[in-house]
Amino acid sequence: MTQNQKLMTRIRAKGKLDRIKLRKARNYLFVAPAVIFIVLFMIYPLLYNFYISVRDVNVGTLMSGNAPFVGLRNYKTMIGDPTFWHSLLISFIFTGGSLLFQFTIGFALALFFQRPFPGGGIMRAFLLLGWLMPIVVSASIWKWLLDGDYGVINYLLQGLGLLRGDHYWLSEPNTALAGVIVANIWLGIPFNALLLLTGLQGISLSLYEAARVDGANAWQRFLYITLPQMRSVSLTVLLLGFIYTFKVFDLIFVMTGGGPANATTTLPILTYNLTFEFYEFGTGAAAASLLLMISLALSVVYLLLVRREEAA
Amino acid sequence: MSMLVRLYRRGYGRTLVGIIIIAAYVFPVYWMVATSLKSSKGIFAVPPHLVPDPPTFVAYSSAVIHNPAIHKALINSVIISVGTMALTLILALPAAYALARLRLRLAGLVLLLLLISQMLPPINLAVPLFVLFQYIGLVNTYPGLILADTVFVLPFAIIILRPFLLSIPGDLEDAAMVDGCSRLGAFSRIVLPLVVPGLIAVGALAFVLVWGEFILGLTLMTSNKMYPITVALNRFIGQYGTQWNNLMAVSTTVALPILLTFVVLQRYIVSGLAAGATKE
Repeated sequence: MTQNQKLMTRIRAKGKLDRIKLRKARNYLFVAPAVIFIVLFMIYPLLYNFYISVRDVNVGTLMSGNAPFVGLRNYKTMIGDPTFWHSLLISFIFTGGSLLFQFTIGFALALFFQRPFPGGGIMRAFLLLGWLMPIVVSASIWKWLLDGDYGVINYLLQGLGLLRGDHYWLSEPNTALAGVIVANIWLGIPFNALLLLTGLQGISLSLYEAARVDGANAWQRFLYITLPQMRSVSLTVLLLGFIYTFKVFDLIFVMTGGGPANATTTLPILTYNLTFEFYEFGTGAAAASLLLMISLALSVVYLLLVRREEAA
Repeated sequence: MSMLVRLYRRGYGRTLVGIIIIAAYVFPVYWMVATSLKSSKGIFAVPPHLVPDPPTFVAYSSAVIHNPAIHKALINSVIISVGTMALTLILALPAAYALARLRLRLAGLVLLLLLISQMLPPINLAVPLFVLFQYIGLVNTYPGLILADTVFVLPFAIIILRPFLLSIPGDLEDAAMVDGCSRLGAFSRIVLPLVVPGLIAVGALAFVLVWGEFILGLTLMTSNKMYPITVALNRFIGQYGTQWNNLMAVSTTVALPILLTFVVLQRYIVSGLAAGATKE
């Protein structure tokens, strides 16, 4: 190597070092707009929500901006109000009922699509339809399907001999929640089926081979290989499903508006009603804060779970 | 029937069962389209007609084509969707690039923040944003709703874009720069073309999300001239009562752009979803 070439290599190396330093600075510059945006329009509003929740904000004090500080009064009002506990209960029934069926049906579909067959790929794409449709559209379809006078569901149930006469699913306090849950199950099946399918495809085929050699039948293979292997994926899907279902608003709002007689008023619906129907911004913000705390707690559990799974 | 039996014998049993399952699953969407093509008498037929007989566009004519409120709402939704897509891409591309390229000490924290923000109930943002936007005059404006919608699309966009950028080796850029490309030149000539599928995936998913968004539009738009199409559809549900053919015609109109996006960009959407799901 000549002197000249050595020099060139050294210059290049120094240049590379400078480039790395520069790149570092530039990278922070690149993330900055997105981070600033999120701080400004997400973090700050969320903190501001706590600020509203300890003040007496109503129509009068909203515009003037000098709502008096009331400490935890809004929270006390909320916690002392039976409608809050009722909406919490409805939220849990809605979420639990939806998840139970979404997950079971999703699992069955995932098992069905696990082995490739002609047309399977296209069919899976069709499954995405329920997930992609605007929720307001799905809600209006289900309102029509569940209609008391001319709805197809009543017609089917009457044909099967399960129902006599007309039943107004969404305007009866006893069945409105069930109606909304059925619609939500339909919406959630693709999410469950496709995530669980990814999990199923991750199970090593040699496990099944070995079991077959040992004389295990299909049911035993499902019981002793599929189920245990799917444990962590199932937990993830269920937890994520819980987080996503607990915050559902559009579907219920469009189908029933939270009625009849609060039969479908979940926590997000209650928060909306307090704020935008009764203009109780303070108590609305308190309800929102409680909803946020539940959602955040579940998100943290989910993230810890994912991290533990990755470490294992 | 004999054709079905023949298919079954040839080993298409699974396909056959699959078709039945998918038909049952897709039925609500089919029923929406079928109802939208019925006359006001046709929807009340007992037993219900599975296929509109005869199909008619009368519902589209009265509820969509000759309905100025729907035109306005569709235009609003296009403006809001395009605006949100543009703002999201402008913010997400550099951020995803930086998060993929360098071991930023903050990268883990930023990604965590993004993951959590995806799980946020939208109503939690609607309440404080309404109050804050009231102060700065952003309630009932396009920029207001575009900003709010971007809050929900941006985290998702960065998470989906990052794996696309991770798959482009950094040496490729360095090589281009050794060959005399500027930093920006290397980015636009090497990185940008390679990340196009990712940008299409994000754009398509952003469109699907924003077009269907409801709660922020419901709370931040206060006059019916500004309503996005989803909020307008909700108004019609109350207004049309039992005119289900009209309601389903509007519903089909709202769903159509999403269905078309899906058919045309299905490959990108699925790859984007896969990238988002496998994430970190």
